[in-house]
Parts: sequence; C-alpha cells; structure tokens
Amino acid sequence: MNEWLTFLLLFLSPVVSSVPIAVLYKSKSWTARLPVLSVLGIFVSVVMSLYIFFNFPHELPDARFALPWIPGTGIEIVLITDYLSSYMGVITAVIAFFIAVYGLDYMKGDYRPSWYWFFFTLFTASMLLVVYSDNLFLLFVGWEGLGAASWGLIGHWFRDDDEIAYVGVPDRKVGPLELCWPPSFGGWRAISTIRFGDVPMFFAIAAIWALSGNLNISEIAWGALFTKLGAAGTIILMTMFLLGLFTKSAQLPFSEWLMTAMTGPTTVSALLHSATMVAAGAFVFIKVSWYIQPWRLHGVPGVESVYLLVLFVGLISALYGALVATGMLERKVLLAASTMSSLGLMFGTAAASYWIHEEIAGMNFALLVAFWYMAVHAFAKASLFLVSGHLIHATHTRFSVGGLELAKKMKVTFIVTVIATTFLVGMPPLTAYWVKSAMDEVMEHLLVHNGMLLPLILLLATSLTYSAILARFTSLNFIKGEKPKHEHLEGCNLMKLGYVLMVSVLFILLYRIFVNEETEIFVHAGYVNTSILVGLAILLAYVGAIYKPRITSLSAIGTFFNDRMYLPFVNDYIVPRIGFFIARIVNDFGNRAIDGFCNTLVMPGLFGAISRGIRAIQAGYLARYIKIVLGLVMIIVILVSLSTGGVI
Amino acid sequence: MTALAMTLLALVILVLGAAGSFKFRPLGFAGALIAILIGLTTCPIYYGVFIFIIALLNLLSLVALPNLIKGVDYSLVGLMALATMYVFTTRDFAMVLLALVLISVPTYILVMLREGKANVELALKYVTFMVFATVMFLTGALILVYSSPTGGFIYVIGYVLLVLGLSLEVGVAPLHEWVPDVFAAGDPIPISIIGSLAKVVPFIAALWILIPTVNSTMSSLTLFTAVLAAISMFTGNIGALTAREPARVLAYSTVANMGYVLSCFVVIARPDFAYLAIVGALLMLFANAVGKIGFFNAIKGDGAYSPLMYILAFSFIGVPPLLGFWGKLYILLSIAKMQYFWLVGVLVINSAISIPYYIRLAGELGDTWRPNLVNIICVIAVAVTMVSVLFLPVDWFFRNIVAIAHTLGVVV
Repeated sequence: MNEWLTFLLLFLSPVVSSVPIAVLYKSKSWTARLPVLSVLGIFVSVVMSLYIFFNFPHELPDARFALPWIPGTGIEIVLITDYLSSYMGVITAVIAFFIAVYGLDYMKGDYRPSWYWFFFTLFTASMLLVVYSDNLFLLFVGWEGLGAASWGLIGHWFRDDDEIAYVGVPDRKVGPLELCWPPSFGGWRAISTIRFGDVPMFFAIAAIWALSGNLNISEIAWGALFTKLGAAGTIILMTMFLLGLFTKSAQLPFSEWLMTAMTGPTTVSALLHSATMVAAGAFVFIKVSWYIQPWRLHGVPGVESVYLLVLFVGLISALYGALVATGMLERKVLLAASTMSSLGLMFGTAAASYWIHEEIAGMNFALLVAFWYMAVHAFAKASLFLVSGHLIHATHTRFSVGGLELAKKMKVTFIVTVIATTFLVGMPPLTAYWVKSAMDEVMEHLLVHNGMLLPLILLLATSLTYSAILARFTSLNFIKGEKPKHEHLEGCNLMKLGYVLMVSVLFILLYRIFVNEETEIFVHAGYVNTSILVGLAILLAYVGAIYKPRITSLSAIGTFFNDRMYLPFVNDYIVPRIGFFIARIVNDFGNRAIDGFCNTLVMPGLFGAISRGIRAIQAGYLARYIKIVLGLVMIIVILVSLSTGGVI
Repeated sequence: MTALAMTLLALVILVLGAAGSFKFRPLGFAGALIAILIGLTTCPIYYGVFIFIIALLNLLSLVALPNLIKGVDYSLVGLMALATMYVFTTRDFAMVLLALVLISVPTYILVMLREGKANVELALKYVTFMVFATVMFLTGALILVYSSPTGGFIYVIGYVLLVLGLSLEVGVAPLHEWVPDVFAAGDPIPISIIGSLAKVVPFIAALWILIPTVNSTMSSLTLFTAVLAAISMFTGNIGALTAREPARVLAYSTVANMGYVLSCFVVIARPDFAYLAIVGALLMLFANAVGKIGFFNAIKGDGAYSPLMYILAFSFIGVPPLLGFWGKLYILLSIAKMQYFWLVGVLVINSAISIPYYIRLAGELGDTWRPNLVNIICVIAVAVTMVSVLFLPVDWFFRNIVAIAHTLGVVV
C-alpha cells in the first residue's frame, strides 16, 4: 500500500468516521447507533499503525516521509516511523480502540454522544499526529488538537448537574477555597494550564526555526544550535520548550489540572492518562532527547543544566504524585495522582540519558527504559481506569468503596485490577519489574559514576509508595473497603471486554521484554541482587497496603495529601490573584490612560479647543474679515519673498 | 467646426433661452441644456461628461428654488458650465482669464437668490472677496507670464499672488473667512452651485497658467504651496468637528477639500508625473462637487434617503471604490513620488479626522425614502461617486490618465 494512503487513513479515519454523528447530533436514534462507526474508524487506525509497525522501514533516512507544505518556512509534512513512533503509534491506536469499545457501553444514554465521540476520535487522531510527526510545527498542530479535544472531553458533562462527575469532597473548604470542582471548571483548568505552556513552546519552536533553519526533529543540528546559543540561550530555549511538555504531562507545579480532569467521563480519563495527552509530553521529551543525543553533548554549555532540571522536576513530581495518592479518597483521583508519579519517572529516567552513554542497538539505555515504562504504564493504567469506571457505574459513587463481597460478585474486574496493579508496581517477575530494575540501574549509574545520590533515593521512595497506593486502590475497592450502598452489576459486557483486552496486553509486553533484542538488558538488570531486593521491598509494601489500606493515626497527613498539599491554592487562588492584579493595573493605568488620552480627555479636548478657535474667527463682520485677509496676504507675500530671497 | 465656434453657437442658444424665459420659463432650462450639450462636443468626453452631469444636477436643483430671476438662473449655470468646458481645451491666456471671469460673475448674482427678496447683504460679503480674489489672481497671472523667462523676485511675487488669489476664490485656509458665513447664510441651492461647478475653473486656470510658466524658481516655491494646503486641510477638518449646522460643516469640508486639491500644485514642476496630480485634482473636484450637491439638496429638502447620504459621506472620507477615494489616491501617489512624505501623512491623518463629522452629517441628513426631486438628484450624485464600479471598465482610470496627459501635452 502507498505510504501516504496509509498515513491518511491512519490520521483521518477516526475523525471522518465521527462526522456523521457530529452532523446528526439532533437525532436520538442516529446518535445511539453511530458510535459503532467511530469505533470502526479507530479500528482502521489500529490496522494502519500495525501495518506501519510491520512493513515500514524503522531506520533513518528511509523511515522519514516528507511532503512540502509551506515553502521557505521549514513547515513541512514530515512523518517518521522510527522505533519510538512505530511502537507508540500501535500503543496509542490499540488503547484508544479498546477504550472506545468499552465506551460503547459506558456512554450509552449520555446526553450528548455527538460531542463525546467527535472529540474522542479527534483526541486519538491528534495524538497519532504527535506520535508520527517529525516536523515540530506539524507536531504542534496535533499538540493543539490534543488541548482542544481534552477541553471538550474533560468538560463533557458541562451542565455540572451530577455530583458523581465532580472532583473533591463536597463542602470541603480550606480558607477561602472550596476544594470541590465541577466538570466545567475541570475543563477550564485543563485548557488554561496547558495554554500557559503551549505559548512559550510555540515561541521556542519558532526560535528553533529561526536559529537552525530546520524544524525536523531528526534533522536539526542540535549540538550546533546549542553551541550557537551559549549556556543561557540554551537554557532559556529549552525551558520554554519544556514548559509545553511539563504542563501537558502535569509535572510540578502544573499538576492540578490533571486531578480535576477526572471530572470527565472515565473513558476520557483512561485515554488521557495512558497513551494520549499526558503521555504526549513525556513522549515528545523522549523523542527529542533521542535525536538531541545529550550524552554526546557534554562539552556544550547549558545542556547539562537543562537535563538536571528535567531529572529533578520529574523525580520530585513522581514522589509528590505518589505521596498525594496515599491520601486520596476518590478512585479516579488516586489513579490520576499515580499517573503523575509515573510520568515523573518517565521524565526523570529520560533526563538521565545525559549521563548514560550505554547504547543498545544504537539506542540510549535510559531513553529505552523510559519508553518501555511508558508502554507498560499505558496499558496497566488504562485498565485500572476502565475498572474504576465500571466500579463507579456499579456502586454509583466516585469514592473508594467495596469489600470482598463485591470482589466475588465482580470477579473479572477484581482479577483485572490485581493483574494491572501487580504488573505495574514492579513486583518480580511481572512486566514492570524488568523495566523498573533497569530504571534502578540507571539511577544507580548516576550514583556510582556521577555521585548523585538523590535521584536513586527519590526513585526508591517513589517506587515503594507507588506500590502501596495501587495496593490501597485494590484493597479499598475489593477487599477492605466499606460496603457500597448501591450495587448495579448487570450487563456491561463490553466494558468488561474492554479492560480484559487491555490488561492482556501486559502479558504480551512481558513476552516481548524477554524476546526483543533491545530489552535483553532489562532482563539482565532484573537478575541483579539489588534489583531483586528492591522488588521484594515493593512486594512487601504492596502486601502491607493490601492488609492495612488505612492508617487512622495518620489521618491528618492523609487529609493534607488528599488536599494535594494545598497545591490548588496556586491554581485557584495565587495565580488568579496575580491575574486580577495585572488586570487592574492594565485597566487603571493602561486602559484609563489610553482612554483618557484618546477618547475622553486629552485628544478630544485638544481638537475641541482648536476647532472652536478656528470657528471663533467667524464673527460675521465683513470689515473684520477684510482686515484678516488683507493682513494675511501681506504677511504671506513678505514671508515668502524673504524666505525665497536667498535662493534667488 | 472649431471649439470656439461651437461654444459661440452654444452661447447664442443660451442667450435665446434666457430671453425666451421671460415669456415661458422652461425655455431657460431647455436653452441651458441644449447649450451644455453642444459644449460637450468641444472638450474631451470623460471630462465633459462629468461637467455635464454636475451642471445638470445644478440645473435640476434650481427647479426647487422659486426666485426673482427664475429662468435666467438656468442660463447663468449654463454659462458657467460652458466656460468650464471651454477652459479645458483652450491654451489662450486671455481665454483662460476670460473663463475665470465668466464663472465668477454669475455666482455674484446666484448667491443673492432665495425665495422672496434678494439676499443683498450676503452678496456684498461674497462679492467683496471674489473681486479681491479675481484681482489678485489676474495680477499674479500677468506677472507670471511676464516674468517667467527671467524668473527672480518678481516671479515669486506673481506666483504668490496667483496662489493666494486662487485660495481666496475657492476658500483655502487661512483665506477662508467668507466661506462659513456665506455657506451658512445663503440658500442651499445657489451655495451648492458655488461649492461645485464654480470650483473647477479656478484650479484649471491656475494650472494652465502655471504649467507653461514653470521655471527654476518654481521648485523653491512648492514648500509654500504645501504648507498652505496642509493648513487648509487641518483648518477645514478640525473646524468641521465642532460645527453644528450642516451647512457650516459643509463649508469647512470645502476648505479641507480645497486643501487636498491645492496639494497637487507641489507636483506641477515635474512634467514626468504631473499628470497623476492633475487627474487626482480633477477627480477630487468632481467628487467634491457631486457630494456637495447631494448634501446641500438634502439640507434644502429636509433630508434625503439615508443610504445615499452615507455613500456620499464615504466618498468624502475616501472609502474605496468611491470617487473620493480615487481622487485622494492619485493625489497621494503624486506627492509621494515628489517625496513630500510629510504631506502624505498630513493628508492621511486628515482623512481620518474627517470621519466623525461626515458620518454625523450623513446621520443627521438621512431620512426614509421619498420619491422626490432631492432623492433623484442624490441618486444621480451617488451614481457618479460609484462611477468606477457601475459604468466604466476597471482600467478606465488608467486610460483616462493617459488621455488627459496627452491633452495637457505632458510626457507620460
């Protein structure tokens, strides 16, 4: 098949298949039937991504496909099917497809299915564009598509009429703030935070074009660019670029939107937290680092500072996310905080690539670990979200409830939860264990070769806490939680199918880790004694948290964590205050001054006065006019004669 | 037949019509119409048609004004139109000056017209300045022709007197004092004639005298003209901002428009692009004429159809593709080529200053549609402002420029 036809089908089939449902939004009977078409559209993308995975070249320069778009601006349609993109494309499409299948059940009877399906497929298509783009501008198009679609989906239940879609405990007030957010506010928080990062990122892309004359990630001479910029220039440029990634991936201090993004339908949370949106930030960082090759730029000023920044932002966010999750009462928000934690680990590990020289089949070890962790996390987290969506549906509450009785009634769901959590936390010998072992090795390398102890400590603390929070999720919902007030267990077979399919991919990934050439090193890392020790500690933490998911004597800290260490104040209090302050200054000194100068006082007054002066000459007396005219004629004749006298 | 013979024939018909009008008034109208139709054959068609339409609108407006000399007033307008047409083709110095006198004198009588008694007091004010203006103009013209081979100080005096005479005649600031008084106190119909048809000949006469007498001294005098033009634009437009009476607003608008036209004079020493300035000046004069006719008739008739008023206002402001825009565009192009960029800036700023009062004027004079003479006149006036979209092919202006340049003997 022609490669451009493949790409066209890949990107457009989800969106095009949702056009009918978007157009027929008024017809109840059509909107009930047409979602299948959208799911089919996403399925076409799955097929195309697999086709690309198996049939397209993965080595540059054959893996790059270019078409001109706007000549002379560096803006081209350049797609790439290298190792990262071909894997990530399959992951994105497959996860979106499974979630879409689940959504057929989950979104049944919703009040605006057209809105949901259109944005859901746009979301998927945008992420695929981000994944396969090599051109930064084209990538940015997909990037903005993600932003727009996330706003549409997080605020999907814009009527704010059902408390089950809220985030936070109703009536919980801390100081002037109510720590409870409706969907419409959630959507707004998401888009406003993301825009805050997107604008500097856009300027950074423009600067990259201006300075290097190329926008293709794999072609830009990054080393030369950074050398040209010097230390300060490199740090400024990359920080601006990273602001886009940090906001999208909810790294500190931009994590708040992710928590309130849980006001969207669970399918949206699942997609948002696994393969799209938040993953986009980490993915772009991995991809850019893949071609920057920072480990080869040790003499270039500024690069080390940038990677150091990412390393610590990532690892601190990881620990923050994990800690905060220990106090979370809501199912989805707990998972959201854990996602933030995982993303932090991805950023941190990818940033470690600066210090890791080891290459496997031409790929940097640290970046490979970060990417594989992203893959494992995507499927495990998507499964857990789908499970919690089913739980919310079944128990009709967003707070964690449910005991063994519920687990018996929802066996499949319970088993999927256990698999997804144990496979994700890094318990030997399950999927994430091998990746996490490699991650331990990366941070150990930083300690041994670069004398940095803190990254390893942060990683270990995060890993243990992370294990505990996912165990807590399992325990509170299926083992030791309170008995739910409502139970609605019938049907929902498509939902079950969705998460069973999703979780089963974790086995495939486990298999691939053992089979793939480049992941052989993960397996070696898993057999190292320290890794086994860490793995056992994680297992202990998991078992401990299953046994005792709540420690009542620590409830004060729990509340502090559940309030997310009061970070909402930054979003909902401090930043708006600054905004209002600026707005007031602009209004008081800017607007009023301009208004006064142009519209109300200075200029109108001046013109009025001059105008009245001009008209004041008109007294109506002929004698006076004659005097004026004769006088002026004489003066002018004399003036002109004098001034031109010199010329003549 | 020569142009002069045709003009003489037209004059005879005009006189017969005027005489006949004592018995039967419409004869005056008919005589004037036939006379200007004959006159049309004496000058280039694109120029002639504009003058014809302007004169026709003036004639039609007079129908609405019962007055003491009813019948003869048509003939006076006819005479002015004939002089305006004839002046474009003649190169005879005496004939040019005669044309100037011929369009001046009828206005002395027209300005007195109103319903009932003659407006003698106003005429006194007007005539005083006109006489003064004509004398300065003629003196200046004579000195220029006399001194052009030698140049020198006397040439400067001649130039200044001619330009000041012109300024006083058409109402360029700071010699504009008579304009607001006359425009506000007179009957709108004769004022519309003074504000439209009577403005063309003085400019053409001045050009016809200045172009052949250009010499090296002229280039040092362009700054004087430019400053005068700028003063007139600012005085007119700013003065109009706070004027309340529509007639007074139009008086200041005339002062401003005459400033725009006068700014073309900075270019006439440059034969390679003087034609741009002359085309700009003519289009500006035509745009001013039809606009003034429309607005003054609306004042006389207590309002006209609102959209028509707004289109006329937009034409004055210079919104494309209306006639006022083309006039300003060619003037701007010519003075930009002359590198008078500050004057370009002044012209643009003044166009912006003029927006509020033209819009306000259109709002005040705007009314619902009534099938009456005023609205018919306004429809014709609006059709003229839209000439570049309604009747003529797109490249009309460019061909027009070439044709006018040939008539003037200017190199393109």
